[in-house]
Formats: sequence, structure tokens, C-alpha cells
Amino acid sequence: MTPRIISKKTHRSQFAVYDERGRKIKLAKRGKKLSRSVAGTVALFLFIGIFAVFMGMPMVLTISNALKPLDELFYFPPRFFVRNPTFSNFSDLFMSLQQTWVPFARYLLNSFIITGFGTVGHLIFASAAAYPLAKNKFPGSRILMSIVILSLMFSPVVTGIPNFLIITQLRMVDTYWALILPAFSASLGLYLMKQFMEQVPDSLIESARIDGCSEFSIWWNIVMPNVKPAWLTLIILQFQALWATTGGVFLQSEELKPLTFAMNQVALGGIARAGEGAAVMFITMMVPVTFFVISQSRIVETMATSGMKE
Amino acid sequence: MQKRKRKGFSLRRREMLSGLLFLSPWLIGITVFFLWNLIQAMRWSFNYVFIEAGVGVQFRWLGLDNFNHIFRVHSTFMQEMFESILQIVISVPLIIFFSLFMAILLNRHFIGRGLVRAIFFLPVIMGSAAIANAIEITMGMLMGGMSHVPPEALREATGFNAAIIISLLNEFQVPPQVIGFLVDTIANLHEVIRSAGVQILIFLAALQSIPPSMYEVAQIEGATGYETFWKITLPMVSPLIVTNIVFTVIDMYANSETVETARITFFELQNFGASAAMSLSSALLVCVALFSICYIVSRHVFYYD
Repeated sequence: MTPRIISKKTHRSQFAVYDERGRKIKLAKRGKKLSRSVAGTVALFLFIGIFAVFMGMPMVLTISNALKPLDELFYFPPRFFVRNPTFSNFSDLFMSLQQTWVPFARYLLNSFIITGFGTVGHLIFASAAAYPLAKNKFPGSRILMSIVILSLMFSPVVTGIPNFLIITQLRMVDTYWALILPAFSASLGLYLMKQFMEQVPDSLIESARIDGCSEFSIWWNIVMPNVKPAWLTLIILQFQALWATTGGVFLQSEELKPLTFAMNQVALGGIARAGEGAAVMFITMMVPVTFFVISQSRIVETMATSGMKE
Repeated sequence: MQKRKRKGFSLRRREMLSGLLFLSPWLIGITVFFLWNLIQAMRWSFNYVFIEAGVGVQFRWLGLDNFNHIFRVHSTFMQEMFESILQIVISVPLIIFFSLFMAILLNRHFIGRGLVRAIFFLPVIMGSAAIANAIEITMGMLMGGMSHVPPEALREATGFNAAIIISLLNEFQVPPQVIGFLVDTIANLHEVIRSAGVQILIFLAALQSIPPSMYEVAQIEGATGYETFWKITLPMVSPLIVTNIVFTVIDMYANSETVETARITFFELQNFGASAAMSLSSALLVCVALFSICYIVSRHVFYYD
């Protein structure tokens, strides 16, 4: 299970490669194509394509519903694609929510505050904690990791009431902190970051330490850039999880409620609000999707080992 | 000669201290928001818990009665718990292979890669309770007239609304029998992707952490794609296979019958103590299963150093 090649023995034009246990590694014969056949590639992409079409359908329907005028929304039998696209649903949504006592922009802002702070805080807390757990083996780290896994496993059903009592005692009910602070110390991200940080070569960290790098600087300038794909993934997961919270019992004031809460309210508004419901659903869904596409495009291949010579 | 006084701490102590410094913010958080809850839940499981108006939560010591109740009196709990664990053990390898396969496909360079990845992540976004709920309400409202669709098809999968597909196929006038078959198939696929979305994402990140120079070397030495997979890709992502096993087990357990039973016991039967006992005992059992799987798998994991 190792990609390292130990020795090469050349005998005329014959070419043999051995791995570290001395077993011969079979090489492709000359002239044999190295890549997959064209037909195979086409089949694979067809497979992805069909999958993508079916999985993308809910998104397409949400977009097309948001653009449908009211009469088309209730057309029977229902139509999938929009015939006369219009933005009237969005203008209706802003109009009617402008007149309520909490404007629509406020819900949106609340969602962004909770999601933004929660995600950034979780990223910093989790990756700072993951670094010593992955790289400085100190007594108790194994027990800590077991606690992390147990906390991932423990269902929120039973912890719900004690958690509410704690938040109450900390006087955080009806503030953003009730949702943001527990998100900081979620253990999902810690576990993910720890697993990725274990893959950062020790020699890289040692050489930084020899050159006089401080522990903080090693974490921030050496380890973190090397696990960029990991923390981009972590951001996506945490963003998605926080974006979907409705605030529940923790937020009681209407002006603190997030967008998902408003969306459920509009959706429950009945037939007359159907167009607006489609519009608000579009907005709620599009934010995480856009975020996902942007952060995925930021991932470039890291070069953990590019500065090393063996 | 005067003995030289040692300045500061030894390297080991210093490393430990800096480690603790890095850990402390998170450690405080987990103590407040999780460990305290865990202790509370343990206390609940040994007590009869009831809420008295004006006083708050009250306890009466029961000893092991709650555990006795759920294991020996409760009619379905034991069976559900073992079925859940069996289900998890069966599904884990399937989901791991599927997500690794999908991640390798999605990691290749092609036009619209970002969009396709987003589409594969979509079930995870739409599977979250709040959004799935809104979709259900809206679709129910808009599709009120579709009486020819069997209700089972609409109820089929969690987080997936069959009405969406039915309306599309209706557009192209596909006969109802074919629609029924397609809906079943897609609902199952959707379920698989919903439970594999996060794993695909983690494997993608793992694949992107493999230095490209390794593949270059392999190519120069004349390795085939098959060999490259077994000798480079698989060893390099193997540490993350353990991670993904953990994620899969946790996700499946959170959506299992056992947790649902605990929820019903908590909110509907208001038997808080028994619910805490159920959660504790099943979580511990799944943890034991998880640690044994991880122990076996992690012996085959390769760490690049």
C-alpha cells in the first residue's frame, strides 16, 4: 500500500521496478494506452449526466416556479417549465413583507449574521483545537477524541432540554448567541480537521520549528494552508447546517428570526401567497448553492510535499 | 561551580502547554454545551423526571428501573436497536464505495464541474428539515389536484418530493405505470445520494490533497490508471475512509428508528428518564460498534510521512 518506488534495475531495454518489499511492480507494456478508452469516458459522463439531471430537477423546478406568474402556478395539469417568466413573485414578496413589522431584509440579515459568525467561529475554534490533537500527542488526547465521537453520536433529542436550561442560565435566550455559541464548539468540524491535519507531513512542521517558527505561526502559516480543501469543506457543511436552522425556541423576538423561519411562515400563508412562497424558497435555496459553487471553485490542489526532498 | 538554573519549561512541557492553549476555547465550549448535557442525561436516566408547574424539573430516584423498563418491558426497543445497528453495518461499505467512486468521477476536469458538484450536494441542502418542510408545504399546495398519483409515491422518501418528478414526466405525457417505476428508482437513488453527499465532499477534499507530482511520477514510470488507483489514490485517501465511516455511522444512527423511538418517548409520552436511558444505551452500543470497525480499518490505513 505504498506509492514509493525503491529501486530500479535496468537490463537492456527491459525495465523492472520493485517496491520496498522487493516485489516486482508490473508496468504497462509499451504501446498500451495509459488512459481509459474514449467509450468508457463517454459512458462515465453519461452516467454522471443522467444522475445530475434527476438530482438537479428540484432546483430547476424551484427556479421555474419562482418565475411563474400566479395563473401558471395553478395551471392544471401542472407544468414543469415556465412559459411566461416574470419577476412579479419577487416584487410581491418584497412589497408584502415590507409592510409587516419585520421587513424581509431583516430576516435575510439575521440569517447571514447567524450563519456567518457561526461558521467563521467554528472554523477557528475547531482548527485550533485540531492542531494539537493531530500533531502534539499529549496524554488525554485519545480520551478527548473519544468524547468528540460520543458527542457526535449523542442525539440532540435528550440534550435538548438541558441545553435550553444552560442557554437560559447564560442569559442568551433571544439573542443571536444562543445559536452562534453552541455552533462554535460543535465537534463535527474538529474531527474533520484533525483527520486532515494528521496527513500534513511531520517533517514540514519540524523544519518550521527548527527555523524558529512559533506554534501559532506554524498553525496559521504552515498547517492551515496545507489543509485548505478540508476547511473549505468544513465551511460548506457548517454554513449549510446553520442556514437551515429556524431558531426554534431560542429566538422568540420576530426581528431576530432567520430566513428559514420566514420561509415557513410564507409557505403556510396559503393559496394567495403561493407565488411569494416560491420566490422565498428560491432565495433560501440559492444562497447555500451559490456559496457551495464559489467555495468549491476556490479549492486548488495543495502542495503539502512540494517543498520536501527525501 | 554553580548549577545552571533551568529557564522556563522543558520542550515537552512547553508543547503540552501550547497545545492546551490551542485547545482551550473549544474545550470550554464542549464542556458547557456537551459534557454538562451528558451528565444531565445520565442523571435523568436514573431518575423519574417530571415537570411541576411553578417549580421546574423534579427528580425521583429510580436506580436502574428506566433501563429495566426499556430492555425488558418495552415491546420494540431492543429489536429496533439491533435492527438499526445491523442496518448501519450493512450500509456503511455501500455508501463508502459509492461516495469514493463518485468523488473520483467528480474530481476529474470537465466543463461545468462546479455545477455538477453543486447538484450532487443539493440533496444534502434540501434534506435539512426546515427546507424540506417548506418544499412539502408548497408542493402540496400547488399539486393539490393530482389525484391520479398514488399517495405512497408521494410519501416515499425522506427529503425528496416525488411530485417534482411526476410533474415533469406529466409534461412529456409518460404513462402512469412508467412514472411509478421511475419514481421508485429515483427515490432510492436520491436516498443514497442524500446519505452520501457529505462523504463525497470529504473524499473530494482528500483527493485534492494528493500532490499531483505523485501522479506525474506514476505516469512517467508507465503505471496504468488501475495501478495508479491502487498504489496512489487509495493509500492516500485511506485515512479519510475512517473519517467517512464515522460520519456515515453517525448520520445513519441519527436518522434511525432507535432515535425516533427515543424522540417519541420524550415528546409524546413525556417519559424523559426512559428516553435518556434509550439514548445513552443505544449511543454507547453504536460507539462500541464504531470503535471496533475503526480499529479494524485503521490498521490498514497508510499515513504519508
